[in-house]
Amino acid sequence: MTAERLALEGSNGRPLPRLYLAHERAILGVAMVVLFLIFWEGLERGWWADALRPLIGAAAERWVVKPIFISSPTRIAATAYRMFFVTGEIWTDLGWSALAYVAGLALAIAAGVPLGLAAGWYRRFSYAGEPFLAAFNATPQIAFLPLIVVWVGTGLAAKILIIFLLAVLPIAMSAQAAVRTTDARLVNLARSFSAGEWQLFRSIILPSAVPFLLAGLRLAVGRAMIGIVVGEIYGSAAGIGAMINQAGSRFQTDKVFVGVLTIVAAGIALSELVRRIERRVETWRPPL
Amino acid sequence: MAVSGALDRSPEVPVRRLDLRRLYSANERFVIGGGTLACVLIAWEVVARFGIIDPLFISAPSRVAGAAYTLFAEGEIWPDLKVSATEFLLGYALAAAIGIPLGLATGWYRRLNYLLAPFVDTLNAVPRLTLMPLIVIWFGIGIWSKVVVVFLGAVLPILIAAHAGVTTNEARFIKVARSFGASQLKIFTSIILPGTVPFIFTGLKYGAGRALLGVVVGELYAATAGIGHMIGNAGNTFQTDVMFVGVLMFTAAGLLTVGALNVCERRFETWRPKVGAAA
Repeated sequence: MTAERLALEGSNGRPLPRLYLAHERAILGVAMVVLFLIFWEGLERGWWADALRPLIGAAAERWVVKPIFISSPTRIAATAYRMFFVTGEIWTDLGWSALAYVAGLALAIAAGVPLGLAAGWYRRFSYAGEPFLAAFNATPQIAFLPLIVVWVGTGLAAKILIIFLLAVLPIAMSAQAAVRTTDARLVNLARSFSAGEWQLFRSIILPSAVPFLLAGLRLAVGRAMIGIVVGEIYGSAAGIGAMINQAGSRFQTDKVFVGVLTIVAAGIALSELVRRIERRVETWRPPL
Repeated sequence: MAVSGALDRSPEVPVRRLDLRRLYSANERFVIGGGTLACVLIAWEVVARFGIIDPLFISAPSRVAGAAYTLFAEGEIWPDLKVSATEFLLGYALAAAIGIPLGLATGWYRRLNYLLAPFVDTLNAVPRLTLMPLIVIWFGIGIWSKVVVVFLGAVLPILIAAHAGVTTNEARFIKVARSFGASQLKIFTSIILPGTVPFIFTGLKYGAGRALLGVVVGELYAATAGIGHMIGNAGNTFQTDVMFVGVLMFTAAGLLTVGALNVCERRFETWRPKVGAAA
């Protein structure tokens, strides 16, 4: 009785807090983002300087920042609209970047998966590769970029190659780990029923490797993103990175932000895509 | 005589053979690894020596070693090394100094996490190196732009790891401590913090890689000194050997940092009882 009344009072007397508590995360997050955007816009338009001038006088001038330094959310939105839908200039760059990205990543998968599986299966092969792997893994592979430019120039091939270099390691290493961690009991069982190597590989190793391969792919997707950005910023004529670089050297800060945000969107979309694939592939597996 | 000689020798020969074989199989990993490494280096040298591929493109191990010797002996590399090291250490230290407390705080205070999550998630979804042109506009081409890039690269993995460390803490421990009337501070220092250490080290190791990446890209993009700058310059003048020396410097730096962190981690972890199988 009392509990019921309390609950009723709670919902009737203060309906807001409950609604707030249920969505606290979203509300606080969105509020913070909106505040940040307003602060940014105000910094560029001089709202804060105007508001502070009566209080602190000339020192208020510090609270207005030139658009070439920070641009502003509305400018960026306007520029994005123009670049995507009016002039459409960004689509060519986006196309070049996507081409290099897909080609590099595909190459990394095509080389990384078989190499990693082989290294997991043949112990001696993995010994042979170990020194190179350790050294290569400790190096920021981007440092090879100037060498790659010497070898193949600054065109599409350089970008594909750097993306390949960055993405192949996580893929190969996770493929190797996948074979290594295959349930030994399953392998023994299959062997004792005289399964051939190929059969063993196809029906036990490969299915149990899938989650590892996808985890490697998720890492590689992010690494390849670094490759595309840096590969294009460093001496390339086409692509989103090149666009950012040119805009940066002309102090077109709004364009730089449009490029950065495009890459943000692509990054989020790609990792979501991999997550979807992971969920799709995992449906057959019985929950543990 | 002959028979006894044969008898004398016969037990010896298999033992020696067995020893060699045992030596090989005990060190198979190093024998095969070292052997392949040596083969590749020799093949590289031969290919370059006999002009099968122009050394201008691939240099040669002997040339790389020679270039490294000259660079170090004539002291040409030290200023670049100093600049790169300063950028790396400053940015990385700053990232640890901000990332660890902030990650602990967002793990501990739910609402703070809600406030910061959109920014952290967005930044984490992209290579922060994209911001390079902006950072150059803001901080110039001196060392500070690189310090900022290194910081941005390293701070997120560290922050996220510290955050994950707090949120995955054993809930039972906290309940026990609470039911014995432990204060918030006591819970934090004696349960949360020790439980977070392995996570923080993972974050620090991951962050170190990102920080090195920041040094490389920052210096390639816009700099007046540093190892990355040296590599870029050597690339423009086709000094392939110098480029390889620069890349090897970064390899050494990566191995050193991770090694140092492993040593630190082991020191912090000695009190912890071993989990899982022995050895």
